[in-house]
Amino acid sequence: MDLERLAGVVGDARARIEATSDLAELAAAESETLGRRSEIAVARRGIGRLAPDRRREVGRAINEAVGTLTAAVEDRRSALQAEAENALLEQDRVDLTLPYGRPARGTHHLLTRTMEDVCDVFRAIGYEVAEGPELELAWYNFDALNTPPTHPSRFESDTMYVKAFDDRERSGPDELLLRTQTSPMQARFMEKNPPPVYVVVPGRVFRTDTWDATHSPVFHQIEGLAVDSDITFGDLKGTLAHFAREFFGVSARTRFVPHFFPFTEPSAEMLVWFNGEWLEMLGCGMVDPNVFEAVGYDPDEVTGFAFGMGVERLAMVRHGITDIRHFYDSDLRVLGQFR
Amino acid sequence: MKVPIGWLADFIHLPTRDPHELERILVSLGHEVEGIEEFRPSFEGVVVGRVEEVRPHPDADRIRFCRVDDGTVTRDVVCGAWNFEAGAVIAYARAGSRLGTSTDQPLEVGSRKIRGIVSHGMIASARELGLGDDHEGIMVLDELGAATEDDLGRPLEEVIGLGDVVLDVSITTNRGDCMGIRGLARELAAYWQIPLRDISPSFPTGPETSAFEVSISDVEACPRFVAHQVDDVRIGPSPLWMQLRLLAIGQRPISNVVDVSNYVMWELGHPIHTFDADTISGGQVIIRRAEEGETLETLDGAERPLLAGDIVVTDPSGPIALAGVMGGASTEVSETTTSVLVEAANWHPPSILATSWRLGLRSEASARFERGVDPNLSALATARTVELVALTSGGVPRSRAVDCYPISRTPWTVDLTARDVSRLLGPAPSFGDASALLERLGFGVDRKGGSAVVTVPTHRADVTRPADLVEEIARLHGYDRFPDLVRHGSQGGLSPEQSAVRRLREALVGAGLTEAQTLSFIGQDDLDALGLPLQDPRRVTIRVKNPLREEEAILRTTLLPGLMGAMSRNAARGLKSVRLFETGRVFMTRDDPEDPRIPFQPFHLAMVLSGPGVDAFAATGMVDLLARVADRRLGLRQESLPGLHPGRGAVVTCGATDMGIVGELHPAAVRKFGLDGRVAVAEMGLGPLVSAGPSWMLEDVSAYPPMVFDLAFVLADTVPAGRLLEVVEGSAGRHLESLELFDEFRGGSIPDAHRSLAVRITLRAMDHTISDEEAAPIRRGIAAAVADGLGGVLRGSM
Repeated sequence: MDLERLAGVVGDARARIEATSDLAELAAAESETLGRRSEIAVARRGIGRLAPDRRREVGRAINEAVGTLTAAVEDRRSALQAEAENALLEQDRVDLTLPYGRPARGTHHLLTRTMEDVCDVFRAIGYEVAEGPELELAWYNFDALNTPPTHPSRFESDTMYVKAFDDRERSGPDELLLRTQTSPMQARFMEKNPPPVYVVVPGRVFRTDTWDATHSPVFHQIEGLAVDSDITFGDLKGTLAHFAREFFGVSARTRFVPHFFPFTEPSAEMLVWFNGEWLEMLGCGMVDPNVFEAVGYDPDEVTGFAFGMGVERLAMVRHGITDIRHFYDSDLRVLGQFR
Repeated sequence: MKVPIGWLADFIHLPTRDPHELERILVSLGHEVEGIEEFRPSFEGVVVGRVEEVRPHPDADRIRFCRVDDGTVTRDVVCGAWNFEAGAVIAYARAGSRLGTSTDQPLEVGSRKIRGIVSHGMIASARELGLGDDHEGIMVLDELGAATEDDLGRPLEEVIGLGDVVLDVSITTNRGDCMGIRGLARELAAYWQIPLRDISPSFPTGPETSAFEVSISDVEACPRFVAHQVDDVRIGPSPLWMQLRLLAIGQRPISNVVDVSNYVMWELGHPIHTFDADTISGGQVIIRRAEEGETLETLDGAERPLLAGDIVVTDPSGPIALAGVMGGASTEVSETTTSVLVEAANWHPPSILATSWRLGLRSEASARFERGVDPNLSALATARTVELVALTSGGVPRSRAVDCYPISRTPWTVDLTARDVSRLLGPAPSFGDASALLERLGFGVDRKGGSAVVTVPTHRADVTRPADLVEEIARLHGYDRFPDLVRHGSQGGLSPEQSAVRRLREALVGAGLTEAQTLSFIGQDDLDALGLPLQDPRRVTIRVKNPLREEEAILRTTLLPGLMGAMSRNAARGLKSVRLFETGRVFMTRDDPEDPRIPFQPFHLAMVLSGPGVDAFAATGMVDLLARVADRRLGLRQESLPGLHPGRGAVVTCGATDMGIVGELHPAAVRKFGLDGRVAVAEMGLGPLVSAGPSWMLEDVSAYPPMVFDLAFVLADTVPAGRLLEVVEGSAGRHLESLELFDEFRGGSIPDAHRSLAVRITLRAMDHTISDEEAAPIRRGIAAAVADGLGGVLRGSM
């Protein structure tokens, strides 16, 4: 085969390869143009019969031709494969706006979330988190907190007591009651830990309150206590104002006004300016010396502040909830909004 | 307490009458203002008139024809009242007048024909003017001391000086001294540094001394008893100015003597009682504790059984008043009373508190005695009452009061140092400034350098210690003026348990469960609904002594009733797929191991799941999730459990400890909660799950490929799959990486009551590739262990 003829064969073969429309046709074309019976293969086998001075030239030309055609086949194969895959993928098309198997996700209870949020604000400034018993001794709930034995908050119209359930006599400070505040943990914590103390106490509390939009016999509080050698009223104000900004937003303004609690002196109430009004948000004060004495601290050595806030109230204000019963009804349409 | 601003002005020269400014100041002093109301009866067009002529109506018996002079003209008016005659000065509502209080719909007065005579307007009664309930007759202004003929034609509003703004102030329980207008005025006087204009009652007296002897048998019960008799009293209405003030504070005017008592209580904060002196027998008043079994008919007509702790005022015939709480019916001042015994006494606050709460008789008087009243105020309160009774009833007071005051309360002292102040309040105010603040509040301060002896006035019984004085200093200095300092502690971490609880909650939420908070109370019905046998430990309960409802009388021993109630309410709202969990305390009767004085109250974690496709495995899967998150090895020991489906319940174990239950609720229990279908539940103690957190330390991973092979065993149905996994795990050696049961098969060549269970075993070594040769004896070892331990037969090799 002369070189001119070879060029012609290569040209035809190439056209043949490129004209194929599927992988089977391409295989046939490959066999026809490069297979054992192809003109090129025949010519390659005939090289030995050529004059020695031409063998080299023709041989190189044939190899080149084979290379060119092999590459053409591979290119065509890639192209056809891609086309075939595209066709398959097109068949695989789906409507992504159809509904899907929804990954499960529940929600945390807003009260839990709120308590964690509050605790986290105080954790960030170095307060630990402790919890206390719900069925508590009158001693911790009242006596240790400087509440006289005749105080009306001890009456059954305010406080829930329990019936005797074993043969033990429980009366006076030993009487068992459902704690009406998280404050008893102040005394428990100080009994177990020497000063300094920086702690917050979230938990469930109980009062003899019938249900309405703002009252529930079960609710939650967060108590806080800081005791050290040099704590002043300014520390109380600044720390709680910091809390208000963290919890309600940086623009939250606070105001402190005198109040009365048996276990703090001076006592205060913190108001927060929120949605255009001053709202009573928590009670606080400097720990009363009688409380320090009740737990074995020397009131001459330490000072401290304490505060207590209602978790439901915080959540209701922050999230625009007007009925406390939403927290305890477990309506999934409500709980599901708490994320 | 209702505080009319005009009444405050009796005691101080108010620099402002702006109610919002007064509110701001009172609140800054610790007296919360709960509301601001306007008391403004409106009688546009009503003038002072005089009845010129009265004669019978020609056509009617019950009404009269009058001629009324309004200062300009005289008009015909028809009137149905009979309590006046010609010459009376009255409130004439001309045609076009509008009557009513600021809150009511005004009544428009017109000219209308009554039985053939045109009546031009009307002669008004107190009720028509919004000045009280009196509708018996018209207001006779000259009798009430409200107007004279000189006022003819003047607008009524102008003549009787009406209208005030009333602050509703909430007084904290430690401040009995502020339960009167004078007490609050004293606070404001200290704030503004202006003098208090105190009252000094005076009255002419008759020659006679008191006919009564007073004795106190229990000085703790009654530190002081002051009584003053007023004779020749005529019971009638109190003057209009007094009625208006009482109306402004929401007290209904009744009669001069009763109104004076209320007026003085409001003004001075000292409750007053009045007796009809002629009804007290024997001329003797004895104050003592009641005896068990004694009774007293109180003013409201109820026969009250008395207890030994109650304090009573008695005469030789027995109790005549329940001290500080309510008077007795037999000695009540009535329309026919002519001699009144005015009492201003001091009572033991806790006793009054106990009696008033026990009998449900909480009153303005008991609220004051509960907080404590200064006994040194009793003489002033008596004198003020006598003065006003004499003034309003024409009565003649006896020459002097009987004052029984065995141990008088004198001012006490508290030592205060500069350090006491600065350690609580910081550097400002200085000790000198602090002393000045105390003096403004009426404390006597004898200061020498950094220490002072502070004399406390007797009306401040709440102040006994340096800390109490510091509060007074801070209050008057102004809470707003202290700096805001953020106080940092040094330990802001969560304990491992607290972190673990948060992770468990997060995992359950991530797995599609919603957290609920249910009440801590359950009812007997809940335990019955669960089908718990009598000896079940969850029936060993603590009961609330004073529950709100029977369904909430028991402290929960399990969280399941609360969650089932929640599921049932959601189902009733149409939600069929409900997945809830809760963490919370339950209450046991045994002692808390850490504090044996109180019962054990461990935290539980429970869940309830319902909806399409839910069965026991939904709950066992969640238990497995919890085990993985808590890094615990939890096992299941299937058995028939109370409350659960007998074939679908298991005890959750952790090592040798039983820590909870899991399975499907018994269908009977499901129905009791008003539901149907399968309900998967789990409940376990939270403590063992979180008592130590997962390991912090990273375990190295192997770089070598795994050897994976499957083994299938034919086992009797009585062998739990969990047992097979345990045996395989126990025999697979130290290279076992994971183990998974992936197939259960029955039928075919498997004998009856047997099944094939296939497990996939993955072995991997840290330091080499495990070859077939190494794996072969492991495989044989597992097969032998399953054969020996469980009677399982290996199904060919795979």
